[in-house]
Amino acid sequence: MRGVLALLALLCLAGCDASPVVQFKDASITLPDDSDDLPEGPGRQAVIENCTACHSPSTMLQQPGVPRAKWEATVAKMITLYKAPVDPEAVPAIVDYMVAVQARQSDVPRETAR
Amino acid sequence: MSSQRLTRRALIAGAGGAALAGPVFGQKLIDLGLPGGPSLRPLDPQFPGKGEMIVQRIRPPLLEAPMEVFRTGTITPNNRMFVRWNWPMPTEVSAAKHRVAVGGAVKAPVALTLDEIASAGETVEIVAINQCAGNGRGLSEPRVTGTQWGNGAMGCAKWTGVRLKDVLAKAGVAEGAKRVRFAGLDVPMTDGAPQFIKSIPIDIAMRDDVLVAWAMNDEPLPILHGFPLRIVVPGWFSTYWVKMLSTIEALSGEDESHYVAETYRWPTVAVKPGDKDFPTVPITAMPPRSFITSHADGATVALGKPLTLEGIAMGGDAGLAKVDLVGDGWEIPCTLGPDEHGPYAFRRWSVTLPSVSGDLTQIGTKAANSNGLTQPGELVWNPSGYARSVIERITLRAQ
Repeated sequence: MRGVLALLALLCLAGCDASPVVQFKDASITLPDDSDDLPEGPGRQAVIENCTACHSPSTMLQQPGVPRAKWEATVAKMITLYKAPVDPEAVPAIVDYMVAVQARQSDVPRETAR
Repeated sequence: MSSQRLTRRALIAGAGGAALAGPVFGQKLIDLGLPGGPSLRPLDPQFPGKGEMIVQRIRPPLLEAPMEVFRTGTITPNNRMFVRWNWPMPTEVSAAKHRVAVGGAVKAPVALTLDEIASAGETVEIVAINQCAGNGRGLSEPRVTGTQWGNGAMGCAKWTGVRLKDVLAKAGVAEGAKRVRFAGLDVPMTDGAPQFIKSIPIDIAMRDDVLVAWAMNDEPLPILHGFPLRIVVPGWFSTYWVKMLSTIEALSGEDESHYVAETYRWPTVAVKPGDKDFPTVPITAMPPRSFITSHADGATVALGKPLTLEGIAMGGDAGLAKVDLVGDGWEIPCTLGPDEHGPYAFRRWSVTLPSVSGDLTQIGTKAANSNGLTQPGELVWNPSGYARSVIERITLRAQ
């Protein structure tokens, strides 16, 4: 049926134990240190204490500008869905910080014809 | 280290000036052209086994291929293949101790060693494009949240393994099984969070070209790409290509797990930002896509001279049928390069314009596949930015 597929069948003869098709070796990796950082601002400590244990700051910092309600929903999703151990009292500070950081963000505006 | 911090700070604070901080602070940045920004991304730190990659996130890793990777050839080298992990993965895996549990709706559950997997059936090689369902999400307008990829969360490699159906046969799929679900060694950091598990319909699982793969471009899968085994579903987005495969589970009913039932889904009807409660289906087969790789947006071309444009294209879940260069009200057929690797691989295309008579404004390429699916001229917007396939346009200045 899938005649066009470039399938290369390597025949395994009956009782081919002597010549395994692949030899698996252990693997390991040393991941780079997380040098990603958060800009200064009120609430930065709350973000460090509640968010960046699970992921790099870039997860938040690279998002497009969104309203406060979206940040509130995002923090709520981290808590309810992903079970992030976020201190409920820290949530307003986290949201304030992200809203303030995004308001300061003025990346290079790019000229597009659209 | 400190220079990275400085650069990051400059990036966030927005120094304002063009191309900013890169040269000033010594960190290489790349502009992904994401509308409204933030659009700059670092090209470091370097990850083991990887060449220069766009570092979207260090932890868990999200690495994107710069588009220059696609300027030649049709195979993406392992050191330039994009990397995407939803949860952290182990950094050490013992080949001898690794087992793949095959269970669920089966006749006799088994736990297979890597050697048992490799000898479960004949060895199969297939060249197929691995593309994130969210590739190009950062280019969505209106913008949407999620990993802000440019278009480099894709790559084409040769995968070697055995057929999934041969591995399933080791346990014997029970009558009436509806889906087959996969889990890997990457698990949530928090108790009770959903594990990244994914399932495919049984008819897809039984395809001759759906693999349990151990090699990528003739090398063992690197840890970043799912050592020791990953699922390969040619033509489908890589969300189903579960890495570090440790569990295969036949399901007798629907899959209610989070990453199938609640996310990686898109609307079945046209939606706009703010819409709620629309019907959705899982994002599965890839649509055709194409890219101009010979020229960047804004590049200068010679007025009055011939111009050759080149690029890359894919048919998605069917072979590539054609590629047209399109502008405002005109289309020119492109010449396809040889079909080197079958329907699920990249193919190159080229087209020569006899003479450049002026700026080439908002030109792009439109690919069509053998099922008749064609890239749309306007973005089919969806709130998660999945399955971008809109014609990608650039402007060339004639001088």
